[in-house]
Amino acid sequence: MEKIRERAATLLAEGVVTLVLGYEEGTKRPRPLFCRNSESARKLIFDSRCIHNLAVYLTKKELVGKDRFAVIAPIATLRSIMQLYVENQLSEDKLLVLTVDPSGELRELVTFEDIAGYVEQFELKRGEREQEILSKIDEMSREERWKFWMEEMSHCFKCYACRSACPLCYCSKCVVEVNRPQWINPWPAPLANMEWHINRAMHMVGRCTACGACGDACPVGIPIDLITRKMMEDMAPEFGYIPGQPAKKGNALSTWKLDDREQFIR
Amino acid sequence: MSKIGVFICHCGENISATVDVERVAREVGGMEGVAHAIDYKYMCSDPGQTFIKEAVKKYNLDGVVVGACSPRMHEPTFRRACAEAGLNPYLCEMANLREHCSWVHEKSEETTEKAIDLVKMLVQKVKKNKPLDSIKVPVTKRALVIGGGIAGIQASLDIANTGHKVILVERDPSIGGHMSQLSETFPTLDCSQCILTPRMVEVAQHPNIKLYTYAELESLEGFIGNFTAKIRLKAKSVDYSTCTGCGACIQKCPVKKIPSEFNAGLGTRTAIYVPFPQAVPNKPVIDRVNCNYYKRGACKICEKTCQVGSIQWDREDEIVTEEVGAVVLATGFDVKGADFFPEYGYGKYKDVLTGLQFERMASASGPTFGEIRRPSDGVIPKKIVFIACAGSRDPAKGIPYCSKICCMYTAKHAMLYQHKVHDGESTVFYMDIRAGGKNYEEFVRRAIEEDTVNYVRGRVARVYEKDGKLIVKGVDTLLGGQQVEIEADMVVLATAGVANCGSEQLAQKLHVSYDPYHFFAEAHPKLKPVETNTAGIFLAGACQAPKDIPETVGMASGAAVKVAALFSNDELVREPLVAVVNRLAPPLYSTCVGCFMCETACPYNAIEHEDIRGRDGSLIKTIAKVNEGLCQGCGTCVAFCRSKSIDIQGYTHEQVYAEVMSLLND
Repeated sequence: MEKIRERAATLLAEGVVTLVLGYEEGTKRPRPLFCRNSESARKLIFDSRCIHNLAVYLTKKELVGKDRFAVIAPIATLRSIMQLYVENQLSEDKLLVLTVDPSGELRELVTFEDIAGYVEQFELKRGEREQEILSKIDEMSREERWKFWMEEMSHCFKCYACRSACPLCYCSKCVVEVNRPQWINPWPAPLANMEWHINRAMHMVGRCTACGACGDACPVGIPIDLITRKMMEDMAPEFGYIPGQPAKKGNALSTWKLDDREQFIR
Repeated sequence: MSKIGVFICHCGENISATVDVERVAREVGGMEGVAHAIDYKYMCSDPGQTFIKEAVKKYNLDGVVVGACSPRMHEPTFRRACAEAGLNPYLCEMANLREHCSWVHEKSEETTEKAIDLVKMLVQKVKKNKPLDSIKVPVTKRALVIGGGIAGIQASLDIANTGHKVILVERDPSIGGHMSQLSETFPTLDCSQCILTPRMVEVAQHPNIKLYTYAELESLEGFIGNFTAKIRLKAKSVDYSTCTGCGACIQKCPVKKIPSEFNAGLGTRTAIYVPFPQAVPNKPVIDRVNCNYYKRGACKICEKTCQVGSIQWDREDEIVTEEVGAVVLATGFDVKGADFFPEYGYGKYKDVLTGLQFERMASASGPTFGEIRRPSDGVIPKKIVFIACAGSRDPAKGIPYCSKICCMYTAKHAMLYQHKVHDGESTVFYMDIRAGGKNYEEFVRRAIEEDTVNYVRGRVARVYEKDGKLIVKGVDTLLGGQQVEIEADMVVLATAGVANCGSEQLAQKLHVSYDPYHFFAEAHPKLKPVETNTAGIFLAGACQAPKDIPETVGMASGAAVKVAALFSNDELVREPLVAVVNRLAPPLYSTCVGCFMCETACPYNAIEHEDIRGRDGSLIKTIAKVNEGLCQGCGTCVAFCRSKSIDIQGYTHEQVYAEVMSLLND
């Protein structure tokens, strides 16, 4: 932790970066910290409680500015960074990544190749909560599942916190705001909620990296992160992906390879 | 409010027999925004079109819906009529009341109601239509022909004779293709090379043709009228500007036992070689895989022999870039070879040949100088069996189609054999004799009746060797399934014609579609047989499906005419039904966020990057831009765009939404 503070302070003092995105102690749990000088870098912390996906800020120019910045990134954030990179949203010359490897060593990753190489070592596993709910859903019939999700979605009041928390929801105009024509009804109601959530899920196919930020952000506790997570898990083997591995150029739904298995089409 | 005119066609009785067309016109006429609605027997006729033109002027229409046949048939007719009356042609839409309604349903109330729905959808759509202008693209009047067989040769000559430049690319060291390998050709038995070589020479001498042999297409970028081709010129190791083609190097080359591709493996060639005596260009290349120098670093005998110092050992592959406006694909076919026929002993017994090998044997320039001799011992075979449909029409072998040329060339082979071996006995096993073509049936009859070839209808189960003879076990289905066993000296398999190796990769490079057997797909099986789905790329010859020489030549000339037609204008006019990325006022500039997922999804490489810059030149954002020359309006990008930043002109989100909602709100 001390090393991260020192390094962040040096980077800021030497002018290598103008901003370090990291975590500080919050009232209940760590919260994001934007360090713009070496003074504030002293407040930085980094431990297993730091799960807030800071990648969500990286596409917001008004926050990160035009100069080079650093981000302190746990593995889930690194996966998001890789996905943002293949979607042309980040550039190497503006980004510096700081992370701490399992042995406690501070790592500085400069290129996307470095990041990909680092991410490759980590397997993506289901946590206890995910395992519990997903195995319960797996046992349900199609009708029961529909009922389960209709019930869950009926609590949604369309605050769009899921959208705000997701690092991959970076569109400047979301499809729900498109009103010529109005494809998705904007009001919160069971059917209109379903329209939004199905759309969100479809927009995440082949992109979601299962960071769980959307589920964490939901104020009424709908496990929406599991929809996109399950979709990723189901889709990956069909297209020769391994969940959790660094993203590659293209998208499962848009690219075609000679050795795609395509068994689900037959 | 809109002023839409609706015109319902009876199509003679095609529509009116099952749809109450008067009711359709009446009900749609009552819709909000419809100013005029009529029905008429033939809308496409001159009086029908006059109704439309007059109504446009009289009611000052701002949209027209014609309920008639498929827009594929008459959309241009009605759009032109509207344009003549002063209405933008893209404000005219067609509802397909024939293929989508009257032809597929019985006469009933519901059929009429469906017709009403179809027209209403289009009325709602056309209210959202915007006037569009056709797109003009410049044309580079130079053609690229890929493949130097008879198809490529014919297409090149035809295009070149219209006065346009042609670049002909051939993979092998010489042009000529399969036709140069053939002995005689059916149904006239004239010598293949005698009729082909003058064309080959004409190609070499034509001032409008630039020939690249021993070359392959590396990549093709761009769009109709504006392609950029990168061509890899494989290192020939011989300087063609000084080489005289004397052939001394070939005679002295110590590596002599390489199976000759030209002789289908029956003869041998050297490492520095010219494929055949009439090759164009008649200058050698060094086969680096087999050359002693490239393998072991020593030899260079050819260099010592060469009087003019043309050998260039360190020559490397070269990439040349050519700008072209159209491409003709003429990459031909291949024949199924070894190990595909274990039951017929091909690859196991030396005296089981493919039709192409027999062709070389029967050719005066072949390995036996035109004598039919067994490859195993050089003896003239007294009994010979030809097996037609070896692989073809055999779903179990994965080739359910008919290879088309085998019936004819098998008859020719049997005939040639009988002409050369007077006391020989030949048998042909066949499934059906398919001799459709001018003088083809007469040719087969001649083989059977005059040259006494024994035709047995039935399939061969097995070929095996016993005491130096090839035992052919088959069945005669015309004699009630009687078993037939022939002790043959030689067996010739009329092997299936298949797509040329590398055709799939080439199709992917060019973004043309192909069928399950990797033959290139034509745009329409009847009406667009030489076009591909990619504008500006045309097909000639057996790369589309197996075909014989006359058909290939006809198709090549057809493709050449398409190219010439394309080149007859300085600018190309295209339908404006292409995708566009939206542009808005600052600070958004566009809702596109530049994720470029559309770029990965586009099958036509039509998505480009566009930098939006401020007045000081600083980059504000990079967004997608659709190249309207390349875009085919397929809409894949539209479906893929999360923020709905792309629209297809003429099929915008608003238009499609209006259509759907008109159904739902009813």
